[in-house]
Formats: sequence, C-alpha cells, structure tokens
Amino acid sequence: MRYVNDVSLPGMTYVAVARSSVPHARIRSIDTSVAASQPGVIGVFTAKDLQVSTYGRSVRDVSVLADDKVRYVGERVAAVVAESRVAAEAAAELVEVTYDELPAVFTAEEAIAPGAPTVHDAPWAYPRAFITEEQGQNRQSVVEEGSLEAVEEALQKSAFVVDETYTTSAIHQGYLEPQACVADVEPSGKVRLWLTNKSPYILRSQIADCLGIEADSIEVQPIALGGDFGGKGSPEEAPLCVALARLVGRPTKMVLRYTEDLLSTDARHPARIYVRIGCDTDGNITAWSQDALLDGGAYGGFKPAPTVSIHGALEPGGYRIPAFYSRSVIAYTNTVPKGHMRAPGAPQATFATESAMDELALKVGLEPADLRYRNLLRTGEADVNGREWIEFRGQETLDAALAALRIREDAPAGWASGVGISVYSRTTPTSTSSSMRLVPMPDGRLSCEIGVIETGTGSHTVARELLAKGLAMLPEDIDVVQVSTDELPTDPGAGGSRVTASLAMVADQAIKAWRARLEDEPVLVVVDEKGGPPVGSYGVQIAQVAVDPETGQVKVLEILSTVDVAEIINEKSHQMQIDGGAAMGFGYACLEDLDESDGQVWSANLGDFKLPSSRDVPDFKTVLVRGGRGVGTANVKNIGETTTPPTAAAIANAVADAVGARIRDLPIRAERVLALIEAAP
Amino acid sequence: MRLHFALNGEEIACDAEPDALLIDVIRDLGLTGTKEGCAVGVCGACTVLVREVPVCSCLYLAAMAEGAPVWTVEGIAKRDPALVECFVEREGMQCGICTPGQVVSAFALGLEHDSATEEEIRGFMSGNLCRCTGYVTITEAVRSYLDHR
Repeated sequence: MRYVNDVSLPGMTYVAVARSSVPHARIRSIDTSVAASQPGVIGVFTAKDLQVSTYGRSVRDVSVLADDKVRYVGERVAAVVAESRVAAEAAAELVEVTYDELPAVFTAEEAIAPGAPTVHDAPWAYPRAFITEEQGQNRQSVVEEGSLEAVEEALQKSAFVVDETYTTSAIHQGYLEPQACVADVEPSGKVRLWLTNKSPYILRSQIADCLGIEADSIEVQPIALGGDFGGKGSPEEAPLCVALARLVGRPTKMVLRYTEDLLSTDARHPARIYVRIGCDTDGNITAWSQDALLDGGAYGGFKPAPTVSIHGALEPGGYRIPAFYSRSVIAYTNTVPKGHMRAPGAPQATFATESAMDELALKVGLEPADLRYRNLLRTGEADVNGREWIEFRGQETLDAALAALRIREDAPAGWASGVGISVYSRTTPTSTSSSMRLVPMPDGRLSCEIGVIETGTGSHTVARELLAKGLAMLPEDIDVVQVSTDELPTDPGAGGSRVTASLAMVADQAIKAWRARLEDEPVLVVVDEKGGPPVGSYGVQIAQVAVDPETGQVKVLEILSTVDVAEIINEKSHQMQIDGGAAMGFGYACLEDLDESDGQVWSANLGDFKLPSSRDVPDFKTVLVRGGRGVGTANVKNIGETTTPPTAAAIANAVADAVGARIRDLPIRAERVLALIEAAP
Repeated sequence: MRLHFALNGEEIACDAEPDALLIDVIRDLGLTGTKEGCAVGVCGACTVLVREVPVCSCLYLAAMAEGAPVWTVEGIAKRDPALVECFVEREGMQCGICTPGQVVSAFALGLEHDSATEEEIRGFMSGNLCRCTGYVTITEAVRSYLDHR
C-alpha cells in the first residue's frame, strides 16, 4: 500500500504554511524576509505571488492563500518551500504578519443576528454560490421544505407536543492519515498529482478552474487513502502545491501535521436544532417541524454541496407525517470551515429528532418502540414529499431488533442501567456516472481498471466479487486496479453510500459487454444511469448503558445494530461498515468535540480530541434483516452511512431511561449528566 | 551526528540531526511502513520496537536508539510472518494506515503476555487507534495470533 506521504520524486521540495493566529482581521503586512533567509529555504510566497482564483468543491469561496483578510485561526497566509519538511516548518514560524483585527462571529447564532460583523462581504458573488443577497448576510445556504403554516395549525390541534432544542458539537472525521499532496508540473504544463482525495475525476476541474488551466492537463495518480469519512473530498492543498511547483520549477510535497487537519480541514457542522413533534391521543404523529441552524465556519467550499440534509430519521420518509416543515440554515462564522462527514447532516438531525421521539413517548405514555412502530411507513405509502419507494422495512427491522435484545446485567454495583432505541434509514443512490475497463491478461487472468479509490471500505474487493460472480471466475483470478484519471472517462468518487450500488451498475454492464465481445481485447463501459425509485436501508440501534449516579459517568455496555439488507456482496466488509459506523456514532455521542470557543479550537491534537480506543468502545452486536429489495441487478442496499446517525440518540435515550436525565447537548459527558441528575426534582 | 543501531536485525550507521525523530530517520532510510498519524504519541500508527519495547517513534529521539535493536513493521513481518497472516485472515484492517502500528504492538503483546484475555488485549492495544473497524476484527486478529504462537 502506498499513501501520498510515501511518494518521493527526484528534486522534491517541501511545503509548510504560516497560518493565521487571529480569527478575523485585515492583513496589514506580511514580512517574509527572515523566513526566506533561513537555511534550506527556496522561497516564501504570499497571495500576491500566486496567479489563482478562489476554489471549492461547490461554492468557490476558499482562498489558496489569504488575500487581504483572514477569516479563521489556522487559515493559510504564506507558504514556505524548502529543501526539507523540517526547514519549511521552521521557516514558516518566522513569517511575520501584522493584522488589523476585526470584530468576529464565533457561533451561528451570532452570525445571523442583525448587524453582525460580516465574514465575507458578498458571499453570493462567489462562483456557484447557493445563496442570494436577499437571504441575508453570513449565510452559506438556506433550505426550506414543507409548510410551516400547516405544521402550526396541526400542532394547535395535537393532543401531545414535544417542543425542545438540541445541540451537537463540531467533530473531525478522525481519519488517521493526515491530508497530503505531491504535485509535479512537467515543462509541457502537464500536472501530475498525488492527493488524499476520494473523488479524483471531479477534482480535476475544481483545481483547473482555480489555476486557470485545462482540467485534462491534470492527471490524478492512483493512491491508497488512509481513511476518509467525508473529510477527503475537497481540493485541499492541491491548488497551493501546484501553484508553488510552477513557481519553483520542482515537485512540491506538503503533508499536514494532524493539528493542521483539526484546525483547517472540514469538520462536521455543529448544530442547534429546534424540534416540534405533535401526535394525537393514540400516538399517531400529526405534525413535525425541524428547524436547524448550523455553523458552517469561514468557508463553504470544502463541501460537495453547500447544504447538508438534516432529515435524520426522515431520510427515506421513515415516519408517516401529515404536516411537515424543515428548515436548515448554514451560517458563515469565523471558525474552522465545516464540511461533510459520514451521513452529513443525519447524525445531528437524528440525535435531535430521535431524542424528541422518546420525549414524546413519555408524554403519551407509550413505550418508545411502540410510538415508533405505529408511525413507521409501510411499503406502498408515500413519503412526506409524496414519493413512492421500492419498499419500507422499518417495522420489520424494529421487530427484529426487539426480538434480539438481551438485557445486560453487568452494570457495576450501584450504577443504574438503561436501554435506549433509535431509528434511522438512509437512501441508496440509484444513479451513477462511472466507467470500467476489463483487460484480458496473457496468463488468463482478468484485470479490472476502475476509477474508484480504495478508501478502506473494501470497494476493490466488492468490484472483484461482483465480476467473479457475473463471469463465473474465481475472485483470485481478477485483479482490481485503480488507474490514473487519464485512463478512464469518469467516476463519481467515493461517498454518499454510493460505491457498491454504483460499482454494481457498472460491473453489470461490463459483464454483459465482456460476454458479447468478439475479439479477446479490452472492454470499456461507460454508464450514465439516471436511477429509478429510491430505497433505504433501515438501521435500528438499541444502546444499553450503565450510569454512575454519584459521578454522572456513562459506560456504554452494548450497541445492538439491526440493519435492513438485500444482497450482501462481501459479508465481512459489510459487517465492518456496521461496526465501524457504530463506533463512530459512539465517539460522537460520548467523546468527541473540537471544543471551539472564541474562534479557537481547544482540542487541537488527538490527545485532546478523543477518538474511541479499543478500550473505550462498547460491545457491538448485529442483526441482519435479510430479504430486502435493493437497487440494480445486484440487488444491494447501502451500508456505509447507516449505523453512525442513530447512535447518539440511542445512548441519550438509554441515559434518560437509566437516571431520568434528558441529555439535549452532545457530547454526553459525565459533568453534563451529573448536573442533570442533581437538578432533577 | 553519526547514529548506529540495528534496524530489523541489520547493523546500520547514518547521519542525523541531534533532534531528529526516530520516525523521520527510519522513513528517510526508505522504510515507509512506519506511519505518522497524530505526531503527538496518541494514535500509535508510528509504533516501532526499541530494545523490544513498543514506542511511538514520532516522539522518540533517534539519538536515544543509539546502539539499540530497532524493529519496524517491515522487520516484524519477516520475524513472524504468522502475525501478518492473522491480520489478513481476520481482516484486521480497512484503510491500512494504522495497521503497521497495530502489527508491531500485537507482536510486543506476544512477547510480553501471550495468554492475554480479550480485555487485556483491548487494554494493551488501546494505544493504537483505528477509525475504520470499531476494533472487532483487530482484536480477533490479535487473539488469533496469540493462540497460534
């Protein structure tokens, strides 16, 4: 396995950057003279040296190096190119920047308040901006669905209403391979690029637009990725490294220190979600409103879309809701730019709405599972948007979860035990635009060339097994190789729980073309599938916790994940997505928090930003509810993002069950639980 | 300064700055199996054995390894091929970036306590973070390795 940091080219130079120490300021001056005179330094560069525009995956609002203004602590201000990484880093410390500090906004609430300082003067003017001037200052996106009037009216008539606000913290994807880039510009202008990026085909135009070159002059090289989870989709440091490679005429390499990843990449949005759910005397939902305000940080361009879906359990239209309203506002603030992370939007929303469902059950006097059961959609019903689905299997999945539950009896003496449930379902993408080439090898083996990068999810194994089955070959006789972006026409990249479904669609075409070929020569297929009716995979989680009433400490004993599945291509890879997803949900619920305040990240290393270790994680149990109907001829449902979103609510609901403390703010830390226990009447 | 140590069983000498970190010296020698993750001694991706004891090479001054036996994942894989086999069989990896550190720590556990219980395995291995797996298959791989030793 070769990762970006393992790439070494002749004549390599090393890049380190000086980063802003203040959250919001005009740059008065930058003195690079001391840095430039250090041994081993080739050059020190600022925005005025670069011929670039702003960049991004969606909205093009990110500066390669800060121009006149910095907008968050950690923003790139100047770049050092040196003969070694150590020399570059040492010199970057010596860049002297003088700032005229500006008033700043550190939370989404502050940002949207009337008269707030503006992070960007005219954010609607950036290419591909998602907002208009009329929508107000400091907005990255505003998305509204449903009818607020209908909800207000229905809530008035509801027998029971829950009306609460929930908050979630900013967390990092926590991949263990820091972001890195190697750029080489040939005399012809051709750019060879090795980047920790999971969407190489789409990446090219994002970089090309920024540098003012042709997308097809950039060849993104195949490379292994040391974890992604949504964090490795943007152009990252590539525009800078390519621009610097052109300036110094040698290849450049930049590897972030992990603190830089935490400070400056694309953490999950923290959110404040105001939830109102009403029901009748029997517990039938009458109205549902979710109003979310998310902190998008200083730039929106690290996200593949300027929005996140806050639909939570509603992603596939999970519950039957007569009156529905949803609003999500992402604000610009002077904090770390936020991005997408495993099921973007859903962990925040599911924590809020699935906690609220338990609070509603308490009011109605129903068991939490019963309230959910009676409101889950059945196959044939339409979702809140009136769409038909292939099937809904929420009730079957919930039944299977309850049947498999075994109450734990290993809570420490004197601790209270609790059980909590949470439901989520995620849509399986039914469209793709991808390609694959099958190449016969002289020894009878088959080489399969794909554009999909192996992010660690087992996608190459899935491709091998799909082809082996379709061509009646042994998997070991098929080599799956990721090729450079010059070698294939297109691929959508990893993400959105799409890889298996997408691979299945393109493999299906490749198998047909291979069988129909007349000569023993390579077969190339390009698929542009628009997709049929959607389907979701339900994930019902039941958490069991023990809570120390003296200290508020929460020990999560077990997470039982019950998952609605169709065909499974590789059982082990599928299971590891379930376990790894639940572990990440546990970290979000109980441990992780970037701890941003006053524009600073206080958990700026992996000692303070606490990822779950092998000793922290609970026992993971799984029940697969087989027999579902998936998409495509391979009949698959997504899995990579199904088990992360429901975990936090399941644990919070279990804590409430154990000690009556209703946690409405993540993460669930002992001091929060203890304060609630002590405040209880 | 001139450094001498036994890297994966082979005596070597090289030049390094007095404040050079062991991870950088090892990687500059072409052994890129040792990975830098957190760079602050928390994630364990850079774990190597110095005098048969697992250390975070991202915090360890190369000079402190003067005269010592140092084993990286490349050497451990040759010293006990069954260990790597156990990780492959049990699929004790996903993206692979933490795997070299996991393998070196598992080897060290084998040296120290090869009848470890699951809880002891999880305790010993807790200095090697993994973001992908949830640790189920890694713990199984280590269990399987200890059983086969």
